[in-house]
Amino acid sequence: MTAAIHVDRARKTFDLGKGKSVEALAGVSLEVRPGEFVAIIGPSGCGKSTILRLIGSLEEPTAGTVTIDGRPPRELAGAHRLGVAFQDHALLPWLSVWQNVTLPLQVAGVKPDDAKIAALIRLVGLEGFEKARPRQLSGGMRQRAAIARALVLGPEVLLLDEPFAALDAVTRRYMNIELQRIWTESRITTLLVTHGVDEALFLADRIVVMSGRPGRIIENLDIDFPRPRMPALMRTPAFHALYDHLADLLEPAAAENEPVAGGGES
Amino acid sequence: MNAIGRTAVAVLRNGWGILLLIIVWQAWVTAMNFNAIVMPRPLGVLQDLIGFPEVYWKNAVYTIGAAVIGLVLGMALGTGLAILAWLSDVLEGMLTPLTVLFSSVPVVTIIPIVARLLGYDFSTVLAIVVIICFFPAFVFTTSGLKALPAGADDLFRVLGARTPARLLRLALPAAVPNWSVALRVAAGHAVLGAMIAEYLMGTAGLGYLFAETKSDFNMERAFGATAVAMVVSILFFAAALAVERRVKERWN
Ligand SMILES: Nc1ncnc2c1ncn2[C@@H]1O[C@H](COP(=O)(O)OP(=O)(O)OP(=O)(O)O)[C@@H](O)[C@H]1O
Ligand SMILES: [Mg+2]
Repeated sequence: MTAAIHVDRARKTFDLGKGKSVEALAGVSLEVRPGEFVAIIGPSGCGKSTILRLIGSLEEPTAGTVTIDGRPPRELAGAHRLGVAFQDHALLPWLSVWQNVTLPLQVAGVKPDDAKIAALIRLVGLEGFEKARPRQLSGGMRQRAAIARALVLGPEVLLLDEPFAALDAVTRRYMNIELQRIWTESRITTLLVTHGVDEALFLADRIVVMSGRPGRIIENLDIDFPRPRMPALMRTPAFHALYDHLADLLEPAAAENEPVAGGGES
Repeated sequence: MNAIGRTAVAVLRNGWGILLLIIVWQAWVTAMNFNAIVMPRPLGVLQDLIGFPEVYWKNAVYTIGAAVIGLVLGMALGTGLAILAWLSDVLEGMLTPLTVLFSSVPVVTIIPIVARLLGYDFSTVLAIVVIICFFPAFVFTTSGLKALPAGADDLFRVLGARTPARLLRLALPAAVPNWSVALRVAAGHAVLGAMIAEYLMGTAGLGYLFAETKSDFNMERAFGATAVAMVVSILFFAAALAVERRVKERWN
């Protein structure tokens, strides 16, 4: 069971107080088909997280609509069918890794299946750290625990906001391959925000490129590499061609962002 | 022998200041040849403590009983009301100013009123301790329930958590560190509160013992009662501090 995401001319303006406001999204339209894997790339502060927060029911659009299978995102969240890994891991410091991963099940009132939890923890490479508390983990390990937690409900929609940002290249590659495997098995509708163009190309059916101030979509690119994709794909000329194309798209957008000094987002 | 020796060394290392004070005090009183009514000798106090243990421990049990039961009830009441305030904004708007108002009334002035309502006995002492312990429990728990880790509120919304799950799995665990601070503060106040109530109106307890013996000019026993009260206070405080340490270890 997977769901379709429909973002229709969504605008989002944040009130900064004292009559000031910032336009994070200026009329963004995005359709994600059931079971599709879409990656969003774009410069820092262009509104990628804001799109995810709209779809995750954490924010309401100022104008336009956001629906999942034709219904407000709140309903999917209320039915415990949403998997999210935030930019900051948001693990509960008083719970162990195991307890953090099982938390969504407990909130949903579902009895945890120990074998399944153990498998998830193994999948993200945290075997042996089940009893560790978040503060005893490295940044990358915390992110991986958050990914396991996002997957534990077997969600219909998976929202990942730079989930591999704190990982080294090797672990990141491994996590990419594992994520592809999980997605291939479950076909969860997935939205991945990333700064890694290669990661987006490797994983996604489609890449959405955004530019900032105000945030809008400047490119919608289908990625037709056959699956399953192997790491060798990243060394093919076709991959490099697309990589260069995307990098070019990001270039002017980044330059456009540059003159505004001290806009410390992230 | 070794264990006793080590304990003795530890006591000396941590308590030599107190010991020195007592020795100087003894020497000073002896040298000046003060009357025991003006200034009792430490040795005289010790003699009374050893000679009449029953007087001390019976009153100590009374005070400790009031302090422990009052602490438990006061913490429970404060925590319970803080949870009610968390559940309802309307209740919070009512409870917060009321508790602040209530707590700013000096305890000494409440005691006669409570005594007239409940009678001059244990229940009044207990009520005073409850009143004193309730306030830190309410204030610290109220703020603790809102001291959520970064992103946790968003997480629970995305997970579709309803109020009971948010309370039990997020707000209450998040409040535990603050709650343990409240416990430490309230534990310190509990013994003091019980003694003040006993001193002013009681018929038993360390506070009463002090009041009684002082008016009889039995200063050695009055000081003995004070010494026992100090030990009891320190034990309470140390126990609460130990709880707080354990909590900090786990929560940070
Ligand atoms: N709660 C908020 N209040 C005010 N402004 C906000 C808020 N959330 C986001 N913004 C603003 O909206 C814009 C987009 O922010 P967003 O977090 O979506 O960027 P992003 O693309 O995810 O950036 P990054 O790649 O650095 O994570 C930024 O200018 C930011 O300052
Ligand atoms: Mg972001």
